[in-house]
Amino acid sequence: MVSSTIDHMIAITVFLAATLLFVGLFNQTIQTAVIYQHHRATATKASDLLDNMLLSPGIPLRWGQNDSLPTSFGLQDPEFTQYRTSAFSLMRLNSATGTSVFYPKTGETYSNITIGDKNFLLVSQTSSLNYTTALDLLGIRNQYGFQLTFTPIVTVSVTDDFDTGHLRLSVDAYGTGFPLANAHVSYCLVSVGLTGGAEGHPAYTIDYGNATTNGQGSVTLEFTGITSSSSYSFIAYVHLGGLVGVGYCEHVSSEAEYVIPLVGSVSNGTILIAHSFDIESSDPPSSEVKYNASLVYLAEDFTLREMPLENSYGHVNSGDGSPYEVVNIPTDNPGILIITYKKSAVEGGLVMMPWGVSSLAFPVVFGGDPSSQEWVATDMRQVIVGGVTYQATLALWSLEGYQVVG
Amino acid sequence: MMRTIEVLIVIIIITGAFIGASFFAVLPWPRQVSPVNLRRLSFTTLQVLDSDYDLSIAAFDIENDTLWSELQIALSASLPPNVVYNLTVFEVGSSTGGAELYNNLITISNTDSLGSTSDASSYLAASSNVTFNVVPEKIGEESGEGTLYILNCSDANGWWITGYTAQSLAEDLYQLLSPYFVDAIMVQNTAELGTILGGTPLHGETLENAVIINTFGEAVPIPTAYCTWPYSENSYAHYSYFLGQKVNEYNWTWASIVGYPFYYVSNKAAFSGTQNSWGIYGMQCTGGSGAIAFLRGLDNQAYSTSGSAVTDSADRQAALTQVAIEACNYYGIYPSVYQTSTRALSDSIRATYHLTVGLHIFNPVLDGYNVYNPGTIYNHVFDGSSTITGSLLALGLTRTPDIRLTGIGLLSYYQPRLYRSEYTSYGTSRLVVLQLGLVGAV
Repeated sequence: MVSSTIDHMIAITVFLAATLLFVGLFNQTIQTAVIYQHHRATATKASDLLDNMLLSPGIPLRWGQNDSLPTSFGLQDPEFTQYRTSAFSLMRLNSATGTSVFYPKTGETYSNITIGDKNFLLVSQTSSLNYTTALDLLGIRNQYGFQLTFTPIVTVSVTDDFDTGHLRLSVDAYGTGFPLANAHVSYCLVSVGLTGGAEGHPAYTIDYGNATTNGQGSVTLEFTGITSSSSYSFIAYVHLGGLVGVGYCEHVSSEAEYVIPLVGSVSNGTILIAHSFDIESSDPPSSEVKYNASLVYLAEDFTLREMPLENSYGHVNSGDGSPYEVVNIPTDNPGILIITYKKSAVEGGLVMMPWGVSSLAFPVVFGGDPSSQEWVATDMRQVIVGGVTYQATLALWSLEGYQVVG
Repeated sequence: MMRTIEVLIVIIIITGAFIGASFFAVLPWPRQVSPVNLRRLSFTTLQVLDSDYDLSIAAFDIENDTLWSELQIALSASLPPNVVYNLTVFEVGSSTGGAELYNNLITISNTDSLGSTSDASSYLAASSNVTFNVVPEKIGEESGEGTLYILNCSDANGWWITGYTAQSLAEDLYQLLSPYFVDAIMVQNTAELGTILGGTPLHGETLENAVIINTFGEAVPIPTAYCTWPYSENSYAHYSYFLGQKVNEYNWTWASIVGYPFYYVSNKAAFSGTQNSWGIYGMQCTGGSGAIAFLRGLDNQAYSTSGSAVTDSADRQAALTQVAIEACNYYGIYPSVYQTSTRALSDSIRATYHLTVGLHIFNPVLDGYNVYNPGTIYNHVFDGSSTITGSLLALGLTRTPDIRLTGIGLLSYYQPRLYRSEYTSYGTSRLVVLQLGLVGAV
């Protein structure tokens, strides 16, 4: 009787233990499969969402070229079908990476897509589309988070040296996986003349040219008239087999005080010319900076053309009582605003601003931060933005939670 | 002891079941769970390579090693380093039995094997003898409207269309604008115009929100049925008033292509013995009161022709606005940017007749304190309302008319999209297949 009872107790104990063990094992397998299914669903959603963004221009169609918010989110260039993205819609996305800039004279904060030292793209946040609004327009708020990245496929790096006593530029072009050998290069060199401009404003000259890269995707260009004391900017478009990339560099003789362009109104093409001290909060005293603005754009034959601007020159100063100046860009096509500035007869330089992100191949990062997410699905497409080839990558993660293990 | 043995047997059975279930329940690789959509990546890569037609040119020039070398470099440079490819060009032909044949012409690849995960897309490259096809969006196609009426009345004469007839202008306008509208209808005579004014469609089209282009210049065709009282009041200014009322009622856009709008009425039969003082019979001069009466009708005011003339008569240089210039580039229509205006409407009509500017085709011209609009689309909006109830496109330019300006004005205003990148091959075509594979860790 006693041994039978003990047998029962041992059997039940072992049975219960084994049952719990196997329930746990089966449960783990099922949970893993469920998580995989959720991940799979997220990946499918990422692919669909990326196509939705890239294959729809949004509503209104040309929301990228006005200041109002869209009622439907989409980035396709309204003049084209398929994977062609509007350079202006991208310009209106609030940058996720740049630190926003406050300009006291307008009382507005500006989305900062600035790349490098003297290449600005500051868009008024009242004109910018923020991440939360985009989530609402896409109908995924509180369900998914995303980060949308546009990266130029062709990277064109330009380095300068004066070892020979004059300017020598080395242009290196490479794609995501390979150097761009034997590619065609169209370039322009904008050199600043601190004297000779109208009413004492800085003048500029633009030289155009063409070249071809070697087997390593490089080409060296020499400009005998430019020395280390000169101020200039160099812009190169590299194209081969449908791929187009942009590279640039600047060299200025004075960086202490300069002008900063701010996009005041996208629809009117209004660019505010601000004194750098007002934005960088540098202490007075500052001196007046004279400027002269010009717009160049890439023609269909890959040559750069200059477009005249009205009221293209003026002067700005910092502090109260010194208002900003305004330049209007009279086109809805992408271009590069080049502003030469002059502090004194020997101090000056120039800054550049892309009108539409593609003209200087600015990368764009829009959305949330994926780094702290449990699972992030990504997908990518090759797209054309204003004639320049980009890779669009969407990182998507679920916010609803499906962590069922542990 | 027996119970323990039984439990052990049960455990063995459950263990077997677990092992069996685990054997069949194979979980996918992480790459399969969240894959890069290689098919889309492949398709968009092909589109990028052909964005400047390099791929199409190479597909039809397979002996050109330079071209294919450039293409291979571009392909390698555009794909991520962990993506391998195989690009093949096929010629699409047909056998004697009619079945399609795909002949492999050339293959380029950077790998022997595309790995365990690969996908492909195809792209039809067209030879250089294809027709580039632009498909315009139809104005009003979403709302079921979008009717364009072009007055082509054979029983009326025009004025200030020197060098043209209204019919030739109507034909040109039809060719220019009909692709952009759901229905484009030529109004062949004044009786058909009367039918429309009576609220009856000619061919089942939608009357509301239509565009009516008057190709008769300063003259307006008048149906015989309207050549009577009260329309004949004040030299037929009352007819212009009636037109204004109809434009308001149906929210039409009335387009006057040149000169002084509503200055004459024309009907060859009714006015066979009347000429416009310049030797053109079949016309009756209404004068400046025609435009006033039209605007009063548009604004639902009581009929009157009193008031000063609304149209300027000075020579002025008019320049297309930036919006219009950009529309010229977009739609590929290039009239001269600078025109001479001699019949610009005064901007003061906006306040008097509740008009807002829908679009300036030409930049307004300032003369002292007076502003004149050489070419503008006015929208009528009642006070306190945001609804447009009728519009007037008035091009106050001197003769001879350029109907491309009317076209640009309407296209700039409605902004129909052009779908440019669809193209159809009428000759040979070649199929390009790009297969992509992923290499590296799973």
